[in-house]
Amino acid sequence: MVMPYVLIIVAFVVLLLISNIVMSFSTIDGKFTFENYKAIFTDNVFYKSVFNTCIWVFGSVAGQILLGLLIALLLTQIKRGQVFFRSVILILPWATLDIVAGVMWKWMYNDMYGVLNDILVKIGLAKDYIAWLATPKMAMLAVIIANIWKGFCLSGMFFIAGIQTIPQELYEAAEIDGANAYRRFWNVTIPQLKPVLITTLMFTIIWTINYFPLIYVMTGGGPNYGTETIVTYIYRLSLRFLEYNKAAALSNILFVIVFTIAYLFTRRMAKEVAA
Amino acid sequence: MRRSTKKKIMKTVSYIMLIFMSVVIAFPFVWLVLTSFKTYQQIYSYPIIYLPKNWTLEHYQKVSSLDFKSYFLNSVVVGVGTMIFSLLIGIFPAYAFSRYSFRFKSELLVSVLIFQMFPMVVFLVPMFKFLDWIKLLDTHIGLILAYIPFTTPITIVFLRSFFLSVPKSLEEAALIDGCNRTKAFLRVILPVTLPGIAAVGVYAFLFAWSELLYSMSLLTSKKLQTIPTFLSVFVGQYQTRWGPLFAGSVFATLPPLVVFILLQRYFISGLVSGAVKE
Repeated sequence: MVMPYVLIIVAFVVLLLISNIVMSFSTIDGKFTFENYKAIFTDNVFYKSVFNTCIWVFGSVAGQILLGLLIALLLTQIKRGQVFFRSVILILPWATLDIVAGVMWKWMYNDMYGVLNDILVKIGLAKDYIAWLATPKMAMLAVIIANIWKGFCLSGMFFIAGIQTIPQELYEAAEIDGANAYRRFWNVTIPQLKPVLITTLMFTIIWTINYFPLIYVMTGGGPNYGTETIVTYIYRLSLRFLEYNKAAALSNILFVIVFTIAYLFTRRMAKEVAA
Repeated sequence: MRRSTKKKIMKTVSYIMLIFMSVVIAFPFVWLVLTSFKTYQQIYSYPIIYLPKNWTLEHYQKVSSLDFKSYFLNSVVVGVGTMIFSLLIGIFPAYAFSRYSFRFKSELLVSVLIFQMFPMVVFLVPMFKFLDWIKLLDTHIGLILAYIPFTTPITIVFLRSFFLSVPKSLEEAALIDGCNRTKAFLRVILPVTLPGIAAVGVYAFLFAWSELLYSMSLLTSKKLQTIPTFLSVFVGQYQTRWGPLFAGSVFATLPPLVVFILLQRYFISGLVSGAVKE
């Protein structure tokens, strides 16, 4: 019964992986070489993209987890209007196509005609119009904000699911013991939610490392490589500069990074599944 | 008494914050819809005009005249194909994972968990070469084939949890009544888990629906391309044609939005059992 899966998916993925590894050790005429890896490790843009990826992941994941947790806590407090709030807060950003989210935010960030600057100035949060996508630092902040909007709904759903499985008696017992809402949150919700938190953390970290369309649409990795992450750099190497072998080398490096993160997290999960 | 007033205050505060957040989170999309109904003069007006003065359909007409229908149909073909293949390939291992024990079970289960984390961009070039080699580059079936390794693992994770939630006694009863395994699966398990299966299928469909990287790299013929590629054409390096871009975006987002809202119960319960409990 598992054979079709093994034959089609596992074999296919292994084949692609091998193809990548072979390519990364080949010159253009197919001879064995280490040059591609050397080229990566002497490439300044590579280090920049690794650094950017760290910021991109840290900012997006922190934002998505916190916002997701807040929404989940609020949504589990209420009964009426659940469907409405879920639809607007969780489903709408999720259902928006990646490219649509990208262009939508790009237009809102427009320095002259963008609505964001107009609102910020009107409510007094900014003195002057901000050139969001023109400097590396602001551009990074801008794509992270857009990514938090696009991605927090998944952690929100994970947390809703997790909070719903916490037995109500624990809260009642804590309340009888005199714990206020703040203490109940730290001493009941958070410890009970820990497994969900860890799973969610893993998924969000990996998805954010892999997430490509938003940056591609909004900044294309610019300005001055300010938002170039590893994935956008691989894309640029392979489809813009046509340096397939170097792209393959970088792909393998990224693959090792993602695999290590996934392995560290899933080792725990797999043990529980097997048990 | 004190406790119930406290609860009431908590509830009111929750509603107020939720309403505030709904406004903030829905705003970008509302803004997109509003902009799609403005004339170019109003789109590029300074100071900004919030509500369109005279609503125009010119951008929607423009998008329709650019053969949006053909891109839409291509997206439907690729989406349905991805859905069918990932369900067909995924349903059997998912069932096996939920019911039987066999060699390499835990290794294969870990492979499922890890495969869903592969960065798509890592496989872009080998996928390109592979599809070129088997002469499926620039075909719908080739693109579907390229999506399957990314959609099937998550299909298996979800389906497995749906099957696990069906009590074994249900099948055993069917077996005692003279059904064989296949019949028991088709007559007992399948009907019970059908909503879940549908939700997973929709997930695979929408993955293909919104995927940009592979669709724009693997399909080069205009008449085969999908909606995300169509939209990406309006994004220029120096100038973006916002009007038609946003009109097309509204068209493209409506189907997933409606489907997700209708099926949200299953998605959330699928996530509960699929990725959270394990």
